[in-house]
Amino acid sequence: MTRTGRLLAASRAGWHSFLRRRTAVFFTFFFPAIIVVIFGLLVGTEAAGGGLFAEPPGWYVAGYLAVVVLFTPLSRVGSEVARHRTGSQFEKLATTPLRRWEWLLAQTAVNVVVIGLASLLLVALLVGGTGAQLDWSLELLLVVPFVVTGVVLFCGVGALLGSLADSQDGVIAASNGLAVPLLFLSEAFVTREMLPGWLPVELSPLTYFSRGVRLVTVEEGVEGTLVPTVWPLPDVLAHLAVLGLFAVGCFVVAARTLPRTD
Amino acid sequence: MEAVTATDVGRTYGETVALSGVSLAVSEGEVFALVGPNGAGKTTLVRALTGTTDSEGQVELFGVPPRQVPRERIGLLPQDFGPPDRLTPRELVDYYGGLYDDSLPTGEVLDLVGVADSADSYYENLSGGQQRRTCVATALVNDPDLLVLDEPTTGVDPAGRRRLWSVLEERAAAGTTILLTTHDMAEAERLADRVGFLAGGELVSVDTPARLIARHGGESLLHVEGAIPDGLARDLPFPATVTDGRLTVRDVSPADIADVTAVLEAGDVAYDSLTWREPDLEDVYLELTGQTLSEGGVSG
Repeated sequence: MTRTGRLLAASRAGWHSFLRRRTAVFFTFFFPAIIVVIFGLLVGTEAAGGGLFAEPPGWYVAGYLAVVVLFTPLSRVGSEVARHRTGSQFEKLATTPLRRWEWLLAQTAVNVVVIGLASLLLVALLVGGTGAQLDWSLELLLVVPFVVTGVVLFCGVGALLGSLADSQDGVIAASNGLAVPLLFLSEAFVTREMLPGWLPVELSPLTYFSRGVRLVTVEEGVEGTLVPTVWPLPDVLAHLAVLGLFAVGCFVVAARTLPRTD
Repeated sequence: MEAVTATDVGRTYGETVALSGVSLAVSEGEVFALVGPNGAGKTTLVRALTGTTDSEGQVELFGVPPRQVPRERIGLLPQDFGPPDRLTPRELVDYYGGLYDDSLPTGEVLDLVGVADSADSYYENLSGGQQRRTCVATALVNDPDLLVLDEPTTGVDPAGRRRLWSVLEERAAAGTTILLTTHDMAEAERLADRVGFLAGGELVSVDTPARLIARHGGESLLHVEGAIPDGLARDLPFPATVTDGRLTVRDVSPADIADVTAVLEAGDVAYDSLTWREPDLEDVYLELTGQTLSEGGVSG
């Protein structure tokens, strides 16, 4: 019991709360689908050609995954924090044994499951719909820790936004204001070569997600791909480690920032 | 031993003084009601006492600062508490009960507060009264030593309110210390061992309901409606006045009413109605908060 019991109780409540918001559930899974349909099917890619989508379809798998890992936790956890504030739920929880970091961990666990399912759907759509070629090896499972770590990171950022914004509307606006620039300046959809050299993309944690996921998802030797032909485990782990550092830092700061008082 | 002690507690929000110099002590097993007009500082004081706001002065629960007291000893119902609205009362009580090592059985708690029949409906689909009773259940579920309830019966219908009162009386009889805020003077009078009146962020009076009424409630009044002649007041053995044919007799006990009616009958004075009213906590409230019936929406 004790901590495990508290985490289970809070996760169960969070899971049921999410599943019963049908609109939220629908759009959580519709969002990645529509992204794939628009960019993967309607816009399409022109490998080695010009323009924004000039890489092979598999190159963009990391970008599509970045979309769900970035947007969903930011808006979901941010909104949840805002709802908790409005309903004095943090005031109530402050007098229970549940610690703030435990609450955030429970919310994160729910998001890991939700976004894990959304990621599976997205990959299936990409492979089936756009002809993206993935490196179907055991190493592909390394995407899982990247997704989990990314979710932890952006749940933390979402909680921070929820704590600092003064309303649920403010959380959504701030989420979008943060997520869109991150998405296009972190090598998710736009290659490093297309961005100004002075732009410090390494400051964005999403860059390490994009680079790491791309290393383990794109098939070696696909024409036009920018990834090396030898699968570089140390590089993958290095990206995961940096992403992990960002995630731990954001989680700790977010947990400490969650409201305890009015 | 004191369950709650507050010494010179203050709290300001910018230029606004929400609490100033509040000191009080609540003994273990005591039921203490905080009353006062809107904006008097009741909720701020509850937050200061539970450590859910930062305040000046010193607060202790069971001899230690609020944030150091073992959390299973406290059960809190915030004033505007709104739990996750797509959970059912059963799930909500399970959730909050699951945060403790030991908690009361969910079914028992739901039955206590009277929402067992709606236990599997979403919180958002419950009536306001059922929602409030569910919220009370989340404060009861860990069987706390100190129950802090900020307006527990707001929006609850009379039957539900009486049920909650019974629950709180049972808890109190079992030794639970209860600190509650309310706008319902009947609730305070029935439940509380002592009542504290807050006005303008200051605790203006604390005592038992009976003593407060005796000190601040004024006199009992007997009103006789009819065409009462002005001179009749002089014939009564009590202080009395006649205004527009209405006789008002002050400071009479129920046993004295017969003396008044005897004078009326001796004078062959017909009357339409006779109403006797003793002062209650509401009179104390109006007296101590400086409000009248025409201001602050007290009534009418």
